[in-house]
Amino acid sequence: MNPDVYVLWAAAIATLGVYTILHRENPISRLFEHIFVGLSAGYLLVATWTLNLEGKWWAPMIHERRWYWIFAPIVGFLFYFIYSRRLTWLARLVMGLFIGAASGTFFRQFFPLFAPQVTASFKSVRAQAGMNLQEFFFSVVLQNWLFVIILLTVLSYFFFSVPHEGRFGRNLGRASLVGRWFLMIAFGAMFGNTVMARLSLFIGRMSFLLHDWLGSLLPWFGQHGL
Amino acid sequence: MERSPERSFWHRIQQIPRHYVYLLLAGVVVWQLLFPIRLPVVPSSATKGVYDAIAAVPDDKLVVISTDWDASTEAETAPQTQAVMHACFQHGKRFAIMNLQPPMGVKLANDLAEEAAREYGAEYGIDWCNWGYKYGYENVLMALGKNIPKAIGDDFYGRPVTELPMMEGVEDIEGVGLVVIVTGLSAMTEMWIGLIQGPYGTPLATAYTAVMAPIYYPYLDSGQMKGMLVGAKGAAELEALVDRPGKASAIMNVQSWAHVLIIALIVLGNLGYLFARGRRGERAS
Repeated sequence: MNPDVYVLWAAAIATLGVYTILHRENPISRLFEHIFVGLSAGYLLVATWTLNLEGKWWAPMIHERRWYWIFAPIVGFLFYFIYSRRLTWLARLVMGLFIGAASGTFFRQFFPLFAPQVTASFKSVRAQAGMNLQEFFFSVVLQNWLFVIILLTVLSYFFFSVPHEGRFGRNLGRASLVGRWFLMIAFGAMFGNTVMARLSLFIGRMSFLLHDWLGSLLPWFGQHGL
Repeated sequence: MERSPERSFWHRIQQIPRHYVYLLLAGVVVWQLLFPIRLPVVPSSATKGVYDAIAAVPDDKLVVISTDWDASTEAETAPQTQAVMHACFQHGKRFAIMNLQPPMGVKLANDLAEEAAREYGAEYGIDWCNWGYKYGYENVLMALGKNIPKAIGDDFYGRPVTELPMMEGVEDIEGVGLVVIVTGLSAMTEMWIGLIQGPYGTPLATAYTAVMAPIYYPYLDSGQMKGMLVGAKGAAELEALVDRPGKASAIMNVQSWAHVLIIALIVLGNLGYLFARGRRGERAS
C-alpha cells in the first residue's frame, strides 16, 4: 500500500483525537497533544543537527581539524553549573556573556526599529495647496487628524505623573478616557483578528478531513467545493 | 403559570450550550466547504503592497522568503507562502527560501516551492533555492548582511550555496531586492527590521497570521514594510492578484459565512441580555 495512505490516516486520527477536547478534557486529546509536542521537539533536534551543527561545527572540527571548535560545547555546558551552589559562578559567567551580547544586539536594533515610527507620526494637519474640501476631509481630517488625536489621547492614558485634578489634570483625565475608548476599539479589532485566525486553522483542518481524508475514501467529497 | 426568569427564552439564548455552538459552526463550515457560495475577494492596499514590491525587485537581485512557520499555523501561512511564490514565478523573480525558526517551516515551504516550480517549469538552483534552517536568530541576520555565502553555507540539500548558479554575484545583502517574512512568530519582524531593513535599506514585506497582524500596522504606516498579508484573508487577496484562486480563497469563503454565524450569535446573546434585563426591570418596578 502507498505509504501516503498511512500518513493521511495518521493525520486524520490525530486531528479527530485533538478535537475531542471540544467535548471535555480527556486522555485521547492529551495523548495526541503529547505526540505533537514530542514530534516537534524531535524534529527540532534532528534539524538543528543536520542543517546546522553537522555542517558548521562537527565537520570543521573533525574533517578540517579546526580543533578549537571543541570549546563551543564546553562553554555551553557551563550553563548547567546553575545547579551547583559552589560553582554557580561559572554559569553566571556564561549567562553574563549571553546577556551582554543580546543587549548589544538589541541596542543595535532599537533605532532602526522605532525611529522611523516616531518620524512617521508627525503628520500634516493642514490643507495642502490645491486641495479641495473633499480631498481635505478624506485625506487630512479622516486620516491625519484622526491619527494625531488617537496618538495623543492614547499617550495621555499612559501618563500617570499628573493627578486628574485642577484644570490641566481634569482635561488630561478626559483625554485619557477618550484614549481608553480608542484602546478598547483596538483590542476589539485584535480580538476579531484572533477569531479569524482560529477559524482559519479550524477550516484548514476541516478541509483536510473532508477533501483529503474522506475524499480518499469517497471520491464525492474530494470533488465537491474545491 | 408564569415561567421563572432563568427559564425564559431571552435568558436561555444567553446560555446556549457550547456543544450546540460548536456543532452549528462545524455545520456551516462543512456546508460551505462542500457547497460554496462564492464571495468576491477585493485586494487591500496592504496586499497590493506585497504584490507591487515583488514586481519591483530588480532582475539581478533575489527575493528572500523567510518561512518562519510550522504545521500549527499552516492553514494561514502555507497559502501565503504559496501565493508569494506564484507572484515571484509570474514576475520572473528568483527566490531563496530560508528559515530561522521553527525548522519544520523550511521543509513545508520546500514542498510548496517544488509544486509551484513544476507548474512554471522552474529549476532548482536557477530560479529558486532553499537556504535551509539556520539557527542563531540575530547572529544569522547580522552575518547575512555582510556575507551571504558564509552565513548560509550549505543549502537544504547539503550543497554549498556557492555552487548554485542563481547565487552567482550574490555576495551580501545588496544582492537581495526584497525580503518577505511569512511567520506566525512575533519576534521575527523586529529582527529583520532592526538588523536588515533599517541598516541596509533592503525592502521588506510580511505575511502574518491574523492574530498577530494588528500590532504590525504601524510598521506599514511608517513605510518600514512595503506590504503585509493578514492571515488567510491576505493570502486570498494575493491569490486574486496572481489570478490563482487556491486554498486561501476557499478558506476565506467559508470563513465569511462562519463570521455571519458568529455575529448572529453575538447579536442574539446581546438581545437576550437586553430583553432579560428589561423584563427584570419590569418585575422590579
